[in-house]
Amino acid sequence: MNDMRIADRKVSTETAKMTARGVQVYYGENHALKDVDVDILSGTVTAFIGPSGCGKSTFLRCLNRMNDTVASARVLGEIKLDGENIYDKRVDPVTLRARVGMVFQKPNPFPKSIYENVAYGPRIHGLTRNKAELDEVVEMSLKRAALWNEVKDRLDAPGTGLSGGQQQRLCIARAVATSPEVLLMDEPCSALDPIATAQVEELIDELRSQFSVVIVTHSMQQAARVSQRTAFFHLGHLVEYGETGQIFTNPKDPRTESYITGRIG
Amino acid sequence: MSVGLITLIVLGLAVLGFIYGRHRALSAVEGDARHLHSLPSYYGWSVFLFTAVPSLLLMCAWLILQPSIIENRVAALVPEADIAAAGSLNLVMADVRRIAGGIDAMAKEAGLDEAGIDALRADLSDIRGRLAEVGVALGSNVGEPILNAAREFRSLNASMRMAMAVAVIVAAVAGLVFAALRINPALRARNLVEQFVLVLLVSCSMIAVATTVGIIVSLVFESWHFFQLYPAKDFLFSTTWNPKFGGGSSLGIWPLLWGTLYVSFISLIVAAPIGLLAAIYLSEYATPKVRATVKPLLEVLAGIPSIVYGLFALITVGPLLRDWIAVPAGLGDSSSSVMTAGLVMGIMLIPYVSSLSDDIINAVPQAMRDGSFGLGATHSETIKRVVLPAALPGIVGAILLAASRAIGETMIVVMGAGAAAKLSLNPFEAMTTVTVKIVSQLTGDTEFASPETLVAFALGLTLFCFTLALNVLALVIVRKYREQYE
Ligand SMILES: Nc1ncnc2c1ncn2[C@@H]1O[C@H](COP(=O)(O)OP(=O)(O)OP(=O)(O)O)[C@@H](O)[C@H]1O
Ligand SMILES: [Mg+2]
Repeated sequence: MNDMRIADRKVSTETAKMTARGVQVYYGENHALKDVDVDILSGTVTAFIGPSGCGKSTFLRCLNRMNDTVASARVLGEIKLDGENIYDKRVDPVTLRARVGMVFQKPNPFPKSIYENVAYGPRIHGLTRNKAELDEVVEMSLKRAALWNEVKDRLDAPGTGLSGGQQQRLCIARAVATSPEVLLMDEPCSALDPIATAQVEELIDELRSQFSVVIVTHSMQQAARVSQRTAFFHLGHLVEYGETGQIFTNPKDPRTESYITGRIG
Repeated sequence: MSVGLITLIVLGLAVLGFIYGRHRALSAVEGDARHLHSLPSYYGWSVFLFTAVPSLLLMCAWLILQPSIIENRVAALVPEADIAAAGSLNLVMADVRRIAGGIDAMAKEAGLDEAGIDALRADLSDIRGRLAEVGVALGSNVGEPILNAAREFRSLNASMRMAMAVAVIVAAVAGLVFAALRINPALRARNLVEQFVLVLLVSCSMIAVATTVGIIVSLVFESWHFFQLYPAKDFLFSTTWNPKFGGGSSLGIWPLLWGTLYVSFISLIVAAPIGLLAAIYLSEYATPKVRATVKPLLEVLAGIPSIVYGLFALITVGPLLRDWIAVPAGLGDSSSSVMTAGLVMGIMLIPYVSSLSDDIINAVPQAMRDGSFGLGATHSETIKRVVLPAALPGIVGAILLAASRAIGETMIVVMGAGAAAKLSLNPFEAMTTVTVKIVSQLTGDTEFASPETLVAFALGLTLFCFTLALNVLALVIVRKYREQYE
């Protein structure tokens, strides 16, 4: 672990963008997430780590109410965005999701052209006034997702025809184009080669100046490289949450230590 | 021996073969199945198949060939004079077969033995009466040569049957012995059995293909006959349909084709939007409980026979449209109209469109919807911009399938649109379609040689080409759709 570059830990502001208190999630009878308390700070990259099936994606999906689309899922507890409970009746999940964007674990481009995939969010939210602006947003987003050079000559080709890694970056571009306040990324680099991974990590670092980013990852190195805060989940529990440097160099819980040194997982 | 009994014997032999083959394979390796190339039962199956399949195939071939062989031999016994008197050899042979059948029945009922049957010959005048008693009514008295032919027919039949039984059983035994002797631990019994299965699968699909080809060939053949009697130019380009059974009819296809297309068009205008919107509701909005009741209910519509829809068109919809729309608007006073048939057919097609589209919409991966929701799209935006475009090719396929059904529909048109061949734009006029005219050209006592009857085949061929083109189009579109998520 010593060779790991611990990124600068300075967090621009310490204000909490989202706060989760006592979050429980049930899938039918299965108690998938138990009593999770997390603060997502603004201008910060927060990493969720933990063994497979421990509930990282589940918690991520609570943060923009994507669990609403799963019929068997039940979410208890309180999650606030800018001080407002997002599970309140008055909150429209649609507007919430425009503010809290998401990149899914499996790439899911629409069966439309690359251009239309990226333009989807700006179109439905009316973010641009004319075609020129939209073109610009599309180009910007694709550049930030490190995909522009590969697709600039075939923006009309179907997004489903791209390779797995390219699709993943297309989904990142698609989420970025909507300019959310919080961006949730579920294993965004799982299908990427080291170069594309480095580009996406660069993007994440850059996005931090505008939004909060939450990233789920199975790579300890990646968590250490890009995040300022890290949360470690195990069997549905949030075991430890704190500054990335502290988690990786001086974990308080023995389970965290075993996991990051590779003994459980 | 009857065919059923022979089959049973062969199958019995095959089962014995299975047991023996399995046993022989196992005993060759002293009960240790690991030394066998295949599982023991495969050895059994190989014997089973070698016993049953060739011998049963032989039996089928025999049963197909036997009648024509016997017919040839017996026909030689019938004197020219009888053929001339009856009109044709076929008619004489039909009599011979019936007499033979009658003698069989007599033999059974009266317990007549062979000697008694011989005695019949002495008493020719009585035969007709006695045959009538057992239900075989003959038009004229039976002559000596015909009776002889019938008796020859009987005895040949019996001896061929016997020969067949022997041949089939010998073939089965030979197959059994051959396969059983081949068994040794290195025999690739599994591959053998799988090859048999492969041949079975191939032959089943060949049957489907061969029937299709057969139907098309007969259509083309009869249509060709028609075009020799009636100029193709008139059939394809004339705009009047006016068959006269005395000759001099005009058989232009356009009025019929126009009626077909008009009725189908109206029915699709009804069925496509309603079916599609119902499918969207069912697959996207309905709760599982609603879906579980509404979907089967909609599909009940598909189970109603089209003649019932026809009644509905004739008795309810037709008069309703006439009294409330056609007459007040001055568009005609006919209760059978293109509109009636189109509307009712549209209702019939709703479940086709909706249930196919529902399946297709459901096949759009949930990840696609999640992606859209995750970007802050509403449910209806997601449906409009992601789900429907993704499902569109499939939906188009569903609508084309419904269209080809509409084109082939007959009953609703007869009862709803009438039988007058007309080229008109007014939807409240009676018109008719290709299918209806096929039926009406073929019903009634007409010989199968005039253009007025043969035209039915040309019409059928036209219809076939239309629906084939639609189905191919639908298939191509659906196939393209399948590739999309890969
Ligand atoms: N849609 C669902 N329906 C029912 N159970 C689910 C569903 N999604 C997740 N679960 C269950 O919730 C638990 C947590 O799953 P989750 O997807 O959050 O794990 P994860 O930490 O993201 O794992 P991975 O690293 O493999 O992605 C698992 O036990 C899983 O079986
Ligand atoms: Mg996950």
